[in-house]
Amino acid sequence: MNEDPYRWLEAIQNRREYIRDQLKGGSPVFAVSRPEGILLMGVGIGRSKVFEIYDSQGMAALGHPVDIEKIRQSVIEAAHVEGFTRSHHDVTLRRLISFALSPMLKNSFEQIFSPPLIVESIFAEVGTDEQSDKLVRVNYDGNFFFENRKVLCAYGNYDKEKEAENYLRDILQPTTTIEETATHCLTAISKIIANDSTKPVEVSAYGHPALENRRLECALLDRKRPGRVKYVELDLGKNA
Amino acid sequence: MNGDFLALLAKQSLGPVPALIPSSYEPLQATTVFAFHCAEGVIIAGDHRATSGNVIFSDQTEKILELDAHSLLAIAGVPAVAFEMARTLQTSFEFYRRSQLQSMSLAAKLRALSKLLRDNVPATIQGIGLVAPLFAGVEMNDPQGKPMIFFYDPLGAQFEAAKYAGSGSGSGSIKSVLHFLDTWGNPKPREMNLSDAIVLANRLLMTAAEFDSATGGVAPDRDKFATIRFLSRNGIEDISGPRQKALWQKEVSNE
Repeated sequence: MNEDPYRWLEAIQNRREYIRDQLKGGSPVFAVSRPEGILLMGVGIGRSKVFEIYDSQGMAALGHPVDIEKIRQSVIEAAHVEGFTRSHHDVTLRRLISFALSPMLKNSFEQIFSPPLIVESIFAEVGTDEQSDKLVRVNYDGNFFFENRKVLCAYGNYDKEKEAENYLRDILQPTTTIEETATHCLTAISKIIANDSTKPVEVSAYGHPALENRRLECALLDRKRPGRVKYVELDLGKNA
Repeated sequence: MNGDFLALLAKQSLGPVPALIPSSYEPLQATTVFAFHCAEGVIIAGDHRATSGNVIFSDQTEKILELDAHSLLAIAGVPAVAFEMARTLQTSFEFYRRSQLQSMSLAAKLRALSKLLRDNVPATIQGIGLVAPLFAGVEMNDPQGKPMIFFYDPLGAQFEAAKYAGSGSGSGSIKSVLHFLDTWGNPKPREMNLSDAIVLANRLLMTAAEFDSATGGVAPDRDKFATIRFLSRNGIEDISGPRQKALWQKEVSNE
């Protein structure tokens, strides 16, 4: 099939459609850069969407649980080998994505005789201030881009992602707290992604439609936290 | 994926490679470290001196190393090997916690150190890589878990210290004083509050330095105090030099 470019292109296109179809029904994840640090948020079953990678790096993803686990392990391994053989200062998101994760995703996507990795993800690296924070959106095909407008959403439907990001950029103020930011993310899920006109409610409110019998998964890459490890799991909500 | 960082290093051919050392080489040594229970947790402390034969190589060596939020390693022996062991353990514990989404148990941490010591036996037997560390940790998976002290022989055997432990050339004096205080003292070290335990740790090092040239002592008049960490269920607290000085002035100098 590789000798026939038209069949190869068709196979790739089929693969894209298959992955997008598989991603339908997944709930979005967010990364928001705030004065306190970077909030990572998703709605899942508990430790299924938001993860720690290294001292200053975290990720949030949606997709097939096995594939999320595969890329999570891969990036954690690359980060720890780099931190051990060189120094924790040398572990950067740019290098992890460019040299460890993205090639793996691209290879997996283009190997048309093996199953693809069904994952849409966001990676974040906290800096000393909001300007030095790094937010990276990584697609299932290995394509990635750095976002410098402080808000990122991964969902699989790119129009909806942009809509949710613009909603959050408009509503977030410098004084917005981390809990309020999580509330706005939930509202973005309800209003934009799920086409639900429900008014904003508190994160801890029982029965928020966006939670759908799942739980809020939140973590903060806390830039003020003393010591090397900046990742802190947040318990902002409760089981719906 | 079993969270084994050493296996990951071996897979990438990044494991430590034993070096050939000429038999006349006199390795650097670091002494003295000790740990004891006080009323609120565990004190683990050490001096700052590293020696090579009768030469003082450094008086600013950091021998109490934080492995993770609830584990401490006190090193006595050859610093080159001990620092590498500490770095390996630090990365192993964090790698396990992040990849497996749970903390490594205290028993597994103890075994990890034991394995590193066993792997180091050839260098120990050659006389160029001896390490006899102390380990302090808390089993955070057990709601009743309390800080515990362990000591190792250079071949990797591990023992729990119910009251105190010491390692390095100056530890004999320190363990003698701790035994005396634990038997006839009032209060005993394990009954002392944190402030009294910090002052005691400095006095113990001063005593050890009196009889062992390889132990760097404490000199309050020159603002030179011990390295002290305090371990409890709440985590690790670094007892800074200025804090030790303030306590020394209050409790000993009566200033």
